[in-house]
Amino acid sequence: MSIHDKKYAERIAAQFAKYPTKRSAVMPLLYIAQEEYGWISPEAIQEVAELCNMDSTQVKSIAGFYTMYSEKPKGKYWLQVCTDLPCALRGADEFYEELKAYLEVEDGGTSRDGLFTVEHVMCLAACDKAPMLQCNFHFMENLDMDKMKAFIEEKRAEAKKHEE
Amino acid sequence: MSDTVKIYIDDKAYDVPAGMNLVDAAKMAGNDIPVFCYHPKMEPVGMCRMCLVEMGSIQKDRASGEVLLDDKGNPQIRWFPKLQTACTTNVSDGLVIRTNTPQVDQARENVVEFLLTSHPLDCPICDKGGECPLQNLTMEHGPGSSRMVYSDKLKLDKHVPLGDLIFLDEERCIQCARCIRFQDEIAGDDVLAFHERGRSLQIITNSDPGFDSYFSGNTADICPVGALTTADFRFGARPWELTEVPSICPHDAAGSNISLSMRLDRDHGGRAIIKRVMPRQNENVNEIWISDKTRFGHHFTRDEHSRLLCPLVRRGGNFNETEWKTALEYAANELQLAGGSVAAIAGSGMSNEDLWELRQLVTGLGGERLGAWPPTHAGADLVAQVGVGQGTNLGDLGKGDAVLIVASDLEEEVPIWRLRIKQAHDRGALVVVMNGRPTRMDDFASTVIHYDYSKAAGAFDLLQKEHGDTARQLTGAKNLVVIAGAEGVDLAGSRALMQAAANFLIESGHVGKPNNGLMATFPGANGMGQYYLGFTPEATQDIIANPPKVLFIAQADLLFDDPAAVSWLKQVETIIQLTLFAEEPVPGVTAALPIQSFAERDGSFVNGERRVQRFYTAQGPIGQALPAWQVLNRLGVQLGLGRSKLSASILMNEIAQSIPAFAGITYKALAHVEPQFPLVGGDDVYYGGTAYRNKGGLGVQIPAAADNGGAVTKGKVEKPAAIKASGGQLLVVPATRLYNRERVFRSSELVHPRVPDAYVAMNAADARKLGIENGDMVSISAGGSTLKVRAHVNGAAPQGAVILPRHLSDTPAPLAITAGEVSKA
Ligand code: SF4
Ligand code: FES
Ligand code: FES
Repeated sequence: MSIHDKKYAERIAAQFAKYPTKRSAVMPLLYIAQEEYGWISPEAIQEVAELCNMDSTQVKSIAGFYTMYSEKPKGKYWLQVCTDLPCALRGADEFYEELKAYLEVEDGGTSRDGLFTVEHVMCLAACDKAPMLQCNFHFMENLDMDKMKAFIEEKRAEAKKHEE
Repeated sequence: MSDTVKIYIDDKAYDVPAGMNLVDAAKMAGNDIPVFCYHPKMEPVGMCRMCLVEMGSIQKDRASGEVLLDDKGNPQIRWFPKLQTACTTNVSDGLVIRTNTPQVDQARENVVEFLLTSHPLDCPICDKGGECPLQNLTMEHGPGSSRMVYSDKLKLDKHVPLGDLIFLDEERCIQCARCIRFQDEIAGDDVLAFHERGRSLQIITNSDPGFDSYFSGNTADICPVGALTTADFRFGARPWELTEVPSICPHDAAGSNISLSMRLDRDHGGRAIIKRVMPRQNENVNEIWISDKTRFGHHFTRDEHSRLLCPLVRRGGNFNETEWKTALEYAANELQLAGGSVAAIAGSGMSNEDLWELRQLVTGLGGERLGAWPPTHAGADLVAQVGVGQGTNLGDLGKGDAVLIVASDLEEEVPIWRLRIKQAHDRGALVVVMNGRPTRMDDFASTVIHYDYSKAAGAFDLLQKEHGDTARQLTGAKNLVVIAGAEGVDLAGSRALMQAAANFLIESGHVGKPNNGLMATFPGANGMGQYYLGFTPEATQDIIANPPKVLFIAQADLLFDDPAAVSWLKQVETIIQLTLFAEEPVPGVTAALPIQSFAERDGSFVNGERRVQRFYTAQGPIGQALPAWQVLNRLGVQLGLGRSKLSASILMNEIAQSIPAFAGITYKALAHVEPQFPLVGGDDVYYGGTAYRNKGGLGVQIPAAADNGGAVTKGKVEKPAAIKASGGQLLVVPATRLYNRERVFRSSELVHPRVPDAYVAMNAADARKLGIENGDMVSISAGGSTLKVRAHVNGAAPQGAVILPRHLSDTPAPLAITAGEVSKA
């Protein structure tokens, strides 16, 4: 699979249409690539570089600068828990510890079933709804471990069903 | 003109050019503002904060423009509340700065301390130690001792290869981005970048091969710390042990000024060898940059395994080593027996002095034909007529000016010209590239015109007839430089192309003035010298057609260059060969005489801009090799053809007396230097990098005939019949690759991984017809030779033609375009 596939052709064309030069579309294209591969793989960098007519070094540089791009393989669900001060005051720290323990992973690690990657991040601008996290860039707010466990088991069940 | 403004530095007034960068202006006023990220050849970025100064401006009355005075009668100055970065300031009238106040001292100390928080301070084992901006500025401005706990410093990888030629030491990098900016702004190969940020920031390359650029070595020169080192010099010597000898790059027509860093070396019998090649500033020629071939292509000078160490003579069927005396007597004897039918073929690595002695000898023996090798590029006479005017500086070309590059893959042929024209393009010059295929230069062109190779000689007709707008833009430009190569044309075609180029320039009045005229990518360092001393490719053709009884082959690799050479050389009775290398002897050679490389002797070359430039003796001789001029002179003496001569400088005096173009040129004149901007190579390595100040001479540019109001007229363009492929044949177009297997480059092992395997570039449509797939081995029969190479089926060749790089395999490719058969091997 690759983002050259038909599946993405329209979206890529739509991005290019927005900017005066192809180069300017590099960030949206990196998002598309991350969607496809789950992370910014070396192939993804190569493909985006070719599409945007840039040297792949520059693309890698951009992927490295922004934390929204991951240059390491990720689980299907990328959970980024805010542990910044305001969230911490509402118990985000403990929440994060419990989440890691439940999934049996270290900070930045991926659960053994390969489904969940967890990491802590800086303020996501939802301090009033802490503890919160973003799962594949979608906010989940006012969390506690019960809600989380339910979410995790639901996704695990989904994955199992998919396998069968 | 109000082109200067008055500024005040530490209470002294200076008149400086308006709009100049403040760091540069202060430098010219003798005040060194310390910098790390600023470099006078690049745009400022204000990243390191080392250049902080107190800054203010003199207050003027808005209405009257009068300077406002304080109670004591001094001008009122409005100071910025905080220190400002000098590097991001352009000078304007009434600018006041202070660089010697406690506040500034404090700032400098703080910046250095900050940079050192995670610098390993491993100067004792660092290549840069002794010429390191960070080391020097720490000594000058840094805190005497560290407040950092050593074990808190980051421990990072110290040996990261950024490709085969440059290594990165991650701990030492201070993240000034000079290397990244050089690659982007100056070289145009943006293959370096920062990755991650903050404490994790690192230099990376993701190109394939890593750090894919012909200019990578320059980043090591401008890196203000020892973070970037070259594979050649890494751990090779300490800078203070080196003796610098001014020299000239022997590889191409640019004539880049270089400095050979010499040191006695244990591994080479205690002899002084080249430890590194560094750029030597010549703003008109190579500024402060050199290509990686110039930098890493010097190892042949010391390679005892490939060099010819003593004279060889053939007696009976055997080739025997012998003494000079015997060899010269023997050669002289053979020459006398052979009688008057004498000719010479000289390579473009021969210096002017060598060529002069060769000419004396051949004419002394009654010969007339002096051939230039390789016989691929015609029109040196036209460069002498309408070449770029005296005082030309490609660095001046910009908005309103134009450059036309035709029949050349400039990046592969003369990389420094490609680098400088890329920048002219950035400054707004119109760059037009015409060739039969895409080349790297297209990336830096405003207009690209592709023609059919069979019509290459008529490129200018095509330009005028079918691209009238572009032609008009070129003829209407303020200044116009045409750079012509000889790709896709044979010698007759090259002459037609050069004549058409000359006519184009004459017609539009772009001759006889600086930054206007014709340049050509003659192979080797002394293509123009060959012409001025009477050696021409036409004579070579004549020699090939009617071989003489006696032939001198001087520093020319006929067998490796030309598939036809083996057969026509058989008709020559006596061959005297002057050579650097212990190669396969040319069949029938009578004597092979070892000559010295450019590093072992002094001499001069004429570059493609007609600049006569001098190189100096750096290294002791290899084996019994002698300078070519000396070998030839001794042979002449042996034959009773003149007196013995003692030095190359005397030969230059003789040349100056006999050859009008050299009138007035002496070694002293060639050694003349003048201050250049930016000032580099002083103790302030932090400013310009480690390029050397020019102490060996800027050279003298021979005036073109059109200079100083000289009249030149257009010539007739005699277009040869088009070279066509018929009956299943394809056009075989030999092309130049910078990194190749020529003998002068073979000893530079560190570059071997970058030399491509022999290949031919084919168009997909042609390949399909012939049943060839990308990566297949194919056999190419053309111009009397059959080569087996790998097919690259990609967009690099137009339909109907294949691009066959020369000098990649041991079987020579044809010298010039020809029709040939291509089939799957
Ligand atoms: S490697 Fe050298 S030139 Fe490049 S950013 Fe680091 S210190 Fe600057
Ligand atoms: S601190 Fe957690 S979202 Fe703002
Ligand atoms: S900020 Fe001015 S030299 Fe770096």
